[in-house]
Amino acid sequence: MNILTLLIFTPILFGLVILLLPSSLRASFKYITLFATLVQLCFSIYIYLHFQTGAAFAGINHEDQFQFVQKLPWISLDLGGMGKMQIEYFVGIDGISVTLLVMTSLVMVIAAIASWEITSNLKGFFALFLLLDMAVVGVFCALDFFLFYTFYELMLLPLYFLIGMWGGARREYAAIKFFLYTLFGSVFMLLVMVGLYLSVKDPATGNHTFNIIHMMNPANYIEGSVFSVLSNATILGMPARAVGFVVLFIAFAIKVPVVPLHTWLPDAHVEAPTPVSIILAGILLKIGGYGIIRICIGIFPDAALSGAFWLGLLGVISILYGAFNALAQRDLKRMIAYSSVSHMGFVLLGIASNTAEGISGAVLQMVSHGFLSTMLFFLVGVIYNRVHDRDIYNFRGLGTLMPRYTVYVMIAFFASLGLPGFSAFVAEAFSLAGAFKSHSVNGLLPYWMAICGSVGILLSAAYFLWTLQRMFFGGVSLKGGDVWKVALTDINFRETATLLPLALIALILGIMPSLVLGKINDSVLALIQFLQLK
Amino acid sequence: MNPTLPYTDAQTVTLAIIAVVLPFAAFLVNFLLLGKSKASGWVSTLAILASTVLAANVFFKVWNSPGIHTQQVWFTIGATKVQAGILLNNLSVLMLLLVSVIALPVHIYSTAYMKDDDGYSRYFRYLSLFCFSMLALVVVDNLILLYAFWELVGFSSYLLIGFWFTRESAIIANKKAFIINRIGDIGLLTAIIILYTQFNTFDIQQLFGDKGLIVNSIIANGEWTGALGSIPALWQYVAFGGVFLAVAAKSAQFPLHTWLPDAMEGPTSVSALIHAATMVAAGVFLLGRVYPMFNGTELTVLAVIGCFTAFMAATIALTQNDLKRILAYSTISQLGFMVMAMGVGAYSSSLFHLATHAFFKCLLFLVAGIVIHQVKHIKDDNNLDIDPQNILHMGGLRKKLPLTFIAAIIGALALVGLPLTSGYLSKDGILIQAFDWSDNKGGILKLIPYAALFTSWLTAFYVARLIVKVFFGEFRLQKMNPHIHIHMGDGGWQYKLPLVFLALCCLFPLFSLSPIFYEDAWLYKGFLQANFLARENMYHYIIPVLVNILSVVVIYFAYMIYVKRNTWSFPQTGMLFRISFNEWYIDSFYNRVIVRFVMWLSNALYWFDSKVVDGFVNLLEKIGIAIAGIAAWLDKHIVDGLLHLIADIVHGIGGFARRFQGGKIQYYLFSMLLVLITVFILKLIWT
Repeated sequence: MNILTLLIFTPILFGLVILLLPSSLRASFKYITLFATLVQLCFSIYIYLHFQTGAAFAGINHEDQFQFVQKLPWISLDLGGMGKMQIEYFVGIDGISVTLLVMTSLVMVIAAIASWEITSNLKGFFALFLLLDMAVVGVFCALDFFLFYTFYELMLLPLYFLIGMWGGARREYAAIKFFLYTLFGSVFMLLVMVGLYLSVKDPATGNHTFNIIHMMNPANYIEGSVFSVLSNATILGMPARAVGFVVLFIAFAIKVPVVPLHTWLPDAHVEAPTPVSIILAGILLKIGGYGIIRICIGIFPDAALSGAFWLGLLGVISILYGAFNALAQRDLKRMIAYSSVSHMGFVLLGIASNTAEGISGAVLQMVSHGFLSTMLFFLVGVIYNRVHDRDIYNFRGLGTLMPRYTVYVMIAFFASLGLPGFSAFVAEAFSLAGAFKSHSVNGLLPYWMAICGSVGILLSAAYFLWTLQRMFFGGVSLKGGDVWKVALTDINFRETATLLPLALIALILGIMPSLVLGKINDSVLALIQFLQLK
Repeated sequence: MNPTLPYTDAQTVTLAIIAVVLPFAAFLVNFLLLGKSKASGWVSTLAILASTVLAANVFFKVWNSPGIHTQQVWFTIGATKVQAGILLNNLSVLMLLLVSVIALPVHIYSTAYMKDDDGYSRYFRYLSLFCFSMLALVVVDNLILLYAFWELVGFSSYLLIGFWFTRESAIIANKKAFIINRIGDIGLLTAIIILYTQFNTFDIQQLFGDKGLIVNSIIANGEWTGALGSIPALWQYVAFGGVFLAVAAKSAQFPLHTWLPDAMEGPTSVSALIHAATMVAAGVFLLGRVYPMFNGTELTVLAVIGCFTAFMAATIALTQNDLKRILAYSTISQLGFMVMAMGVGAYSSSLFHLATHAFFKCLLFLVAGIVIHQVKHIKDDNNLDIDPQNILHMGGLRKKLPLTFIAAIIGALALVGLPLTSGYLSKDGILIQAFDWSDNKGGILKLIPYAALFTSWLTAFYVARLIVKVFFGEFRLQKMNPHIHIHMGDGGWQYKLPLVFLALCCLFPLFSLSPIFYEDAWLYKGFLQANFLARENMYHYIIPVLVNILSVVVIYFAYMIYVKRNTWSFPQTGMLFRISFNEWYIDSFYNRVIVRFVMWLSNALYWFDSKVVDGFVNLLEKIGIAIAGIAAWLDKHIVDGLLHLIADIVHGIGGFARRFQGGKIQYYLFSMLLVLITVFILKLIWT
């Protein structure tokens, strides 16, 4: 049995178990889910430890360099004169995906622990949770576009219900907004996918193929096909490859989210229950970044290079715009949601630079933000569960009431604002270094973008410190008075057991970024080389 | 770089690393094991004591030797190997020793000073963390690590300023300190990124060494050309701007100085160590590290800003009434002197002044701590509603706190720069070299040394005012409240020992055998550039005389004003007084203009986000719903309507025709007749 396949389908097996068990055993569902995610974590740690590095394992555009590959024919239809329809179950990972995979498994464990707060309709919740788990892991492993798309769309369904049924007051609005927004992107992605399918032939069999790696090689495109590099086809008067790139980019940019396609995020976060917020911020946003690297840049490197300026500009705008908006919030969760927009802007800026520093920084930032946003949303959940309020102005002096909680809040805040020693610092510094270097190396981004990006680091200090000062320090004063004072107990063992590993990981990655960079470096270099070759 | 160091060098490096890591170990022990135990104070103190011994050991091995540099790969990113290592040269070992030597008495002092505080162990935790960051900052060999510890000292300072976190003013002050330091941090980060882009390395030795990349890079034709390529010369200036911001933020130079006076919200022992002696000097240290990167214009900028800061802060210190605030402004002023010295090329004098200042300013803060502590006791014992830091309540304390008084006098003389003290040696060096420098400068730059000279007289005045108000005359608190119970004294050995130690370090013998000539100081000689030419001119004699004679006059004048009250006194309402008293209105400008603008901008953008961007999405939703409504209407009334129409017609016809087949014979006959008649009538009409 291939370990990636195991990794992908473990959750759904447990999900089936939950579905089959009678509701009288509902108390056990959360333990089953937690167990499933822990099993998955063990698999991914195994993968991480056995993941080989070196130029011969770089992956990117060399199918034979991917690791833990499994390739099975899935849908194979003989279409007579139109050849054979070739859709494969094709999974495999390289440096870009492996660290994200480990991060995903870990965040899932945390989300499972955070699910303790769910009290209604447990069977539905945990079954959907595990379905979602399968889909997101599948996205990071799939190397066949059709398979990728299947997993990608499969994420939407559970998320829609998870937000819409277990969410807050405006959950239906948020769920529909999220669903339609994402669907809007992916419908057009479907068109491009079909176009690519019709343009690309598997060099071995001569059939059309959805194989992403074949799509990266210009030689595999049929002459005169719409996305062929040589044919210069146009769609509505615009170069077809540029249109394809933009459409795919929009689909993933919605996920990242990139300003101005971000407005689903604050609503979805605010309304979603804590575990779903954690998955949204921790994992879903990374699928956007991952998609941009693997699909957008991988398949349309030429368009990516010519559009790099605009990508970088959007990245800078996201950084600053998200940060300013975060500064204006009074809902703690919304503030963190906007800070996510700002921090994910660094990812886009790093990717747009097309330098080794920038892309490594971007991947590291995704991993780091995965852990940190998980921690932040979990922390918000802690306080929300106790008093069902998140308004920053309604709290004061929590540091006196909940000292241990405040320690973790400070760790999460300072790690997020890029204090050296934590992972975000190295990631953001190198995203910016890559962005600045870009002009000298490949001339894609102007120098000022990195400078503007660094202002985001300043603003993040402003909104996080303001929140600390307003909510956690000072004399105790709560809107709910003595009732809240009793309710606001310090974090318990379960919460500590969740937060401590996250804090330690953020710290360890900050001190030893080589844990991530070592695994991704060869792939990043291969990607840079691939981009230069086009 | 050199993986196989000679054995002795490797040993020295190990000692240096242990010296750096010991406070961190103390931090961990305190944090993880000791909890709220009072033992934490001694754990931290022993750690810093051991660090001091090791640092001294390292210092004597490395001072005036070629230096040691060792490193190994930290991580690889792309094709770049980022190294982590230790760089021990004169500058770093001096700082290593200085920081630990200052930190040691502060630790001892703190064990007594903080003993009644609930956060006793938390305090030592933070203090150890600070010492670790600061010691690491001075020995690391690359810019990424430098930046990391640069921010960590800022972070520990944040923790310590906000140590009493339930106090509103303290948490506002620490937020301000961190954010202003963040401005400096992004400046530094920008500079590092520019240097990295230009030279592809973070290594301080490679960049700023004698034959380093910076020295060999040239600016010509608007391009800055290094070994690996060139970028527009503008970015060399931006890099300088970034470094300057970093220095201005950390060393409290105009325009980023406003956090330092507020930082006095932290415990006084912290102010002594961090916000007077060590951390704030990190900016000057950074200037020392990256000195080769500055060109003539940039050095002039440093000189002007440093001089202005020195002057401005001195004028503010003249009128403040808060004991710690006066000292804080005097710190800013002295740091201005150091930055100015860097600017005028008095590199070694600047570092010399850094070292001497650390001792006398630390001493003065510890004195202030004792005084405030005693006044606070009186306040608490008698339930008075006063500010224990206000010098207007004090006076005549020299009899009650004799040792503290002597220490204060020594510290004050060193700060003013009178002979026999260390401050005299270092400050005169700066002034003399500033005059030397201005000789071949024109225009307004000629004013720089005179402004500095004037500032040193201002210093004499505010220091004299401070000392006189606190220690001379009569105890005004007692005068106002004659019945209060007063019990004060110098305190136990934890207070006395640090004072005595630091006071001795403020005297000349520590630095030079000659009390008169700064050129003889070993510390000064340790930093002389190889191409330095000693110039003998009249400045070397005139300046010291001028400074000291006038200083003595100024001090006497201050004494007359504040003790004897028999001469002219300052008008308290003039514009100059208000500018000084309100700290040049700089802080209120920041609050009213910049902070307000940022908040306005963020609210405006949030409005834009929720109304315009999200409004657009919601508009799309409404349009979608409207289109769906129209479609539903069309579907119901047109598409379906047509269908219904046809159905109705058929139904109508059916209903009509049905009647013809009712089964009643009369109807059949009637209809047959009707048809026949109709046919005939039609036929008749036709024909």
